[in-house]
Amino acid sequence: MNEAYEVIVGLETHAELNTETKIYCSCKNEFGGLVNSNCCPICTGMPGTLPTLNAEVVNSAIKMGHACACTIHNVCKQDRKNYFYPDLPKAYQISQFDVPLCEGGYVDVILDETGATKRIGITRIHIEEDAGKLIHGDTFSGSLVDFNRCGVPLIEIVSEPDMRSSAEAKAYLDTIKAILQYLDISDCKMQEGSIRCDVNVSVRKRGDPNFGTRVEMKNVNSFSAVTRAIDYEAARQIAVLEAGGEIHQETRRWDDLKGENVLLRSKEDAQDYRYFPEPDLLTIVVPEEQVEALRAGLPELPNVRCKRLMQEHGLPYFDANLLVENRDRGDLFEETVALGAPAKAVANWLNGDAARLLGERNLTLAETKLTAKELAAMVNAIERKDISNTAGKTVIEEIMFTGKTVDAVIAEKGLAQISDAAALTATAQEVLAANEKAVADFQNGKTNVLGFLVGQCMRASRGQGNPALFREILEGLLKG
Amino acid sequence: MELYAMTAAALSAAMRRGEVSSAEITQSVFDRIRAVEDKVGAYVTLCEEEAMAQAAAIDARRRAGEALPPLAGIPVAVKDNICTEGVRTTCASKILGNFVPPYSAAAYEKLVAAGAVMTGKTNMDEFAMGSSCENSAMHPTCNPRDLSRVPGGSSGGSAAAVAAGEAILALGSDTGGSIRQPASLCGVVGLKPTYGAVSRYGLVAFASSLDQIGPFGRTVEDTAMLLSAICGPDAHDATSARREYPDFAAGLGRGVKGLRIGLPREYFGPGISDEVRASVMAAVEAFRAEGAQVREISLPSTDAALSVYYIIACAEASSNLARFDGVKYGYRAAQYENLTDLYERTRSEGFGDEVKRRIMLGTMVLSTGYSDAFYKRAKRMQGRIRAEFAEAFETCDLILTPTSPTTAFRLGEHVDDPIRMYASDVCTVTVNIASLPAISIPCGTGDGGLPIGLQLIGPRFSEALLLNAADHYEKLAGGFGAVPAVG
Amino acid sequence: MTFDINHIAKLARLRLDGAQAEKFAAQMADIVEMVAKLPEIEDAAVELDPQNPMVLRPDTVEPSLRTEEILRNAPQVEAGCFVVPRVVD
Repeated sequence: MNEAYEVIVGLETHAELNTETKIYCSCKNEFGGLVNSNCCPICTGMPGTLPTLNAEVVNSAIKMGHACACTIHNVCKQDRKNYFYPDLPKAYQISQFDVPLCEGGYVDVILDETGATKRIGITRIHIEEDAGKLIHGDTFSGSLVDFNRCGVPLIEIVSEPDMRSSAEAKAYLDTIKAILQYLDISDCKMQEGSIRCDVNVSVRKRGDPNFGTRVEMKNVNSFSAVTRAIDYEAARQIAVLEAGGEIHQETRRWDDLKGENVLLRSKEDAQDYRYFPEPDLLTIVVPEEQVEALRAGLPELPNVRCKRLMQEHGLPYFDANLLVENRDRGDLFEETVALGAPAKAVANWLNGDAARLLGERNLTLAETKLTAKELAAMVNAIERKDISNTAGKTVIEEIMFTGKTVDAVIAEKGLAQISDAAALTATAQEVLAANEKAVADFQNGKTNVLGFLVGQCMRASRGQGNPALFREILEGLLKG
Repeated sequence: MELYAMTAAALSAAMRRGEVSSAEITQSVFDRIRAVEDKVGAYVTLCEEEAMAQAAAIDARRRAGEALPPLAGIPVAVKDNICTEGVRTTCASKILGNFVPPYSAAAYEKLVAAGAVMTGKTNMDEFAMGSSCENSAMHPTCNPRDLSRVPGGSSGGSAAAVAAGEAILALGSDTGGSIRQPASLCGVVGLKPTYGAVSRYGLVAFASSLDQIGPFGRTVEDTAMLLSAICGPDAHDATSARREYPDFAAGLGRGVKGLRIGLPREYFGPGISDEVRASVMAAVEAFRAEGAQVREISLPSTDAALSVYYIIACAEASSNLARFDGVKYGYRAAQYENLTDLYERTRSEGFGDEVKRRIMLGTMVLSTGYSDAFYKRAKRMQGRIRAEFAEAFETCDLILTPTSPTTAFRLGEHVDDPIRMYASDVCTVTVNIASLPAISIPCGTGDGGLPIGLQLIGPRFSEALLLNAADHYEKLAGGFGAVPAVG
Repeated sequence: MTFDINHIAKLARLRLDGAQAEKFAAQMADIVEMVAKLPEIEDAAVELDPQNPMVLRPDTVEPSLRTEEILRNAPQVEAGCFVVPRVVD
């Protein structure tokens, strides 16, 4: 990016809450399902129906407000945002306009491996309902409308325009996602649309105290797309300015496949939402004791935990950050280390093989049978060289998905690593005896034939020999 | 006396004594409908088969010795903006097409639970917007007292049905006078409950903060019975009040001695016709003679009320009616080129002129640049009107006014003059603005025997007081008159 | 007070065509003049009423309506969905 300029980014993130029911009706709050199978007269906007506010939505939003150090407006209201679109059955969205539930907070985002943080302001967090989905297809006679998603509860988290790069924006989003997940108020599955982002970008010459005109981008559907969209838009705006043009306040639509955006709505076409207080709902009053109880019940938040793990266990930022990405993973790490397993090794197994196996099967840790006890047992077995690291890969898969103990797996699969020098020496001598040519090659300077000989020893020991020890022993024998 | 001309109270007692069956009563009502409906036009949809089946079921339960609620077996008509599961609900609009709701309004479910028999859905001004029933997309309704005149609106069909004996009781809805004004013009009793007393779930919304469903009857006691059946909290309506209500019919007969009645001078101004003024003042004297203390009061913000009402009601209506777009239910334009075209054609072809005017007005008063001067100012004025009533009720128990400035006007007289039409509401809109209860009762007739109505307004949840005073007047007047011959 | 009737109609998704349009516009102008006669008062707006708080709904699932019921009144249905002219998201 042209270094004479600075990019300013603000993000509006919508997260679907994981309450049991929708925000204004008692339909199940559930992703997927056959079209229009999870609806009622209220969430499909039939005449005469009325909304009733889900108590749990308010609780979830307040928890997020506390996690973001917001002021909680425990006396607030809802407002109607009026516009026509097929996915909005009432032709208005019930949202919050001027008195949001939470206002004026921040999150501290970790920028790099030193653990340096930057404070990103949160302007407000408010509650509102989601709209339905439009389905497009050339064989259809038009666009099809599915109202299943109508009425799913959303919190909208609006950041201050405090981010100065696409990297900061990504770090911010990762932080928000981690917090939501830690609070267990949203499942944050971007592929299911449960977390979405509108991106606001402006640029200014470095040193200029005034903000430039901002442009809003919609349809940015993944965290990595956010980075691409910001970089593209910043470059686009700079090019316009450098050519002597002006940036107009407008809304643009991001196309991730093409890697570009197009004008969606100019300021003149901007919608007039005609906000007014929702007359079908009364004032929301959350008792102070309840607000306090929600604050007291917050778990340790991911960035705080990350720094603590770095300090207490001497973990590098990279590892600590991966551990706290997921509350369960961090919990399991701490439990396992508390049982006496070495921190770095536990972190490696959780962040590496365990994470990969979960990803392959699209499961969460909670859905496996992995326990701190067995993980500690496995890591310690490897430390003692009772089994090899390679064997560990088999063990971890077994203890995650079958619930067997580490000892049982080692016994069943014969994974016990032989590290007894005498036994290994005997095998090594047999191998040398059977491979005279290799021995001769080694004596003549082809030292890399050692690898082949180690391999033969491993074969002879049916994989149970300790390869590092074999190498040592062979070297000793060959050098005479 | 024909069964259809009797009161719900009398019929209920007669059924309990085994003297008459619901089937006979319902049959009598439908015979009456056959005799006069083509002149009155009170109904949009008649449900004779279902009604007779409901009546038979009630009769069977009674014969089996079951103790039934007071309204069991009584034929009741329901305004066509109240959703009735399985029965077409049109709001007298083309845009609802043949909408058959898959759910019922809470108030209607209560009526069913009370054992009432539903005769059919009554005519109204489209989406409850009007004061004459002439804005119905179906047909106008005629006043049973004089078929060349309007029954009032928007619940004109319900008022006319009760007045003509085409139903014993009826449900209507009131946003700015839509129960009280037609009650007054047709010579029956109509009550708008306190906002929140009756659930709005299933009432197709006009103005969410002003609408209430309410009862029509030919006597105060009958009206009280119906009110008791429909009042109560509803978990589906967040604005419904969490409280219990007494048996209103049982609370009558306490007299009016010492009752402090306020007469607000702003409701007796030059817009009120001489004959209406004379009738209402005669009623005031009757109250005085019974020991009520009457005094003149002032509600200074009354002249702003019509503006406040139209701004707030139309603003909310413009939003409530935006859902009618040809996509989910109802009418859909036959030809359209794109989405915007679909919306515009459907809505322009489906809505009548008055509805369009009000949607336009409502859209404007909420729009950027106008919201402060119109909507926000109206809401502040609403606060003042409420405060003035609250102050008045510190020294008065009830407030008495005419219901309508004139008797029933002729069909077609005001259709081209919306502002003249709006002026019919001048005595009634303040009540909705202040969320208060009010009742209209007949208090005489004017030229041509046209009914005149007086309105009693009370503090929030004072329905028992209103009904008691109204009932006392009814006894003094010797009753409100028989069902007229029609045409 | 002046207003742009065409802009409002567009916002409301209404079309004023033909002879009706002029008559309509005149009627609207009269109505707007009537309602504009609101005095300017100093009273504060009261949008929040903490004395009258809303009772919130418990987060308990109730059965939804069957898809056929949801679609029963729809003017046009395809593949279990409502249909509108093609839109670009």
